[in-house]
Amino acid sequence: MRYPDINFESFFTWANRPRIMYSPGLRRELGYEMAQLGATKVVMFTDEGLVKAGVADAVAEEVKNSALKLVGTFDEILQDARIENINEGAEFYRKTGADAMVAVGGGSVMDTAKAVNILVGSGEKDFRPLAEQAGLWEGAQPLPPHVAFPTTAGTGCEVTTAMVVLDTEARAKLQVTHPYCNSDIAMLDPELTVRLPPKITASTGMDALTHAIEGITSTGAQPISDALGLHAVRLIFKYLPLAVKEPDNIDARGNMLIAGTLAGMCFVNTMLGAAHATAHALGAFYGVPHGFANAIMLPVVMDFNSEHSPERYMMIADAMGLDVAGKGPLQAAKEAVEAVIRLKSEIGLTETLKDFNVPADPEKLMPMVELAGTDGQISYNPRYLEEEDILGLYMKAIQ
Amino acid sequence: MEYWKDETEPIKAFLKLFENASKDEELNSGLKKVNQLIWFDYTEDGPNCSFNVDCRGGEIKVAAGKPEGKPDLVMSLSADDAHRSWSNKLNPVMAITRKKIRVKGSATGLLKLAPKLKKVAVIYEKTLKELGWEDKIMK
Repeated sequence: MRYPDINFESFFTWANRPRIMYSPGLRRELGYEMAQLGATKVVMFTDEGLVKAGVADAVAEEVKNSALKLVGTFDEILQDARIENINEGAEFYRKTGADAMVAVGGGSVMDTAKAVNILVGSGEKDFRPLAEQAGLWEGAQPLPPHVAFPTTAGTGCEVTTAMVVLDTEARAKLQVTHPYCNSDIAMLDPELTVRLPPKITASTGMDALTHAIEGITSTGAQPISDALGLHAVRLIFKYLPLAVKEPDNIDARGNMLIAGTLAGMCFVNTMLGAAHATAHALGAFYGVPHGFANAIMLPVVMDFNSEHSPERYMMIADAMGLDVAGKGPLQAAKEAVEAVIRLKSEIGLTETLKDFNVPADPEKLMPMVELAGTDGQISYNPRYLEEEDILGLYMKAIQ
Repeated sequence: MEYWKDETEPIKAFLKLFENASKDEELNSGLKKVNQLIWFDYTEDGPNCSFNVDCRGGEIKVAAGKPEGKPDLVMSLSADDAHRSWSNKLNPVMAITRKKIRVKGSATGLLKLAPKLKKVAVIYEKTLKELGWEDKIMK
């Protein structure tokens, strides 16, 4: 495909802090790398499922095999980072006397760990006022050493300077950013992801795809992020079906981990769009897991947006491996939507919003529509949305 | 300042903007839901360069200067960046990460209105025309 005429903001910045390391079995380098960061006593943040699956132990073993001391494991992290859980985690960290943390898990674990590290680093005890401030950049200082092992290939949380926190009282997901909250080192070890069930592999992979596609089509899109997002799309279309069908395929798992990280590095600099805004509200109102919500909303939103940035969708179609030579941008954009639908079918994600008990009743949907309409990510969608547009997206996704 | 000849000009423009924006049903109800005393602090461009919006208790009151009570939220930036922001030419998230916008207090309510900046920008353009400041309109 010949590179189309692509517009981007005439002024942009691109930044990303963590060192990224990749290797099957990379956890064996943990002791050395954490010592380089000045760590001596390490606390692990993970969840019960990963403890039961032996994944947390696989990392803990490497801490024990090193000069570091593992002083505690906080495995009470729930789905979606939650303020009370964050406060408990920070208290646990302090009680152990740790001077560094290792996070082992998916988005909820990594976001919780980021928030805990902000509390520990700032000496604060309650994350709520910080979450309400949303942007924690003024006067921000580097935080205690923090290494992350993502165990899903999806969220990109290991590299992003943002975290999403569920406020159970307000029934809303708050987006909080801090310049040093991401890990000092993102350690990508695909051996830690082989026990991930196919459905979770599929839905978290779709989360990564949504990050990449919305990052490329965002109103904040720019060439450096484009490069990262487009390569993520290439890897996901090739390796996500393989990772779902062959869970032990380290090559597929590794490429998906890399894709998730690339997509995270893409969107953290450009923001996202309406798929994420509607997905956040679905999570807050109906508890739809983030990856599933994105997987359902992505093709609906792409179709809605396609006429507004067809050249960008054409690049995405090309990265998906579609033959777009000689086709117009809009036709390529429409084919990209169909390719996402085919990919979802191939990886077994056939759910609609009906399967999550979201009612097909416009009146009942309005509070969720209002929440999505005020989500920070919706500002970056290439097409402006009124509330009736958002309702239309949900109604289409329910069918 | 790039866009203003003195510290009174931006405040005149922004007070008029809020007066006009309050007439829009959606923005009016959105602001009331914020339910905060907000200080828009541009004092880096002059000691009197600021205004406040009190949208507590179902009313919207806008006034020049620092509020008498303790604000729930302070947004500090330059008057030029405020002009860019109301013109929807300043990416607020990027501006926060570059510390061009400094936030103190709970910003979640006001940030919920960020998706409406496109609409605000249209009203701001009309406001600048009303004030005879077409030359300040950003293209």
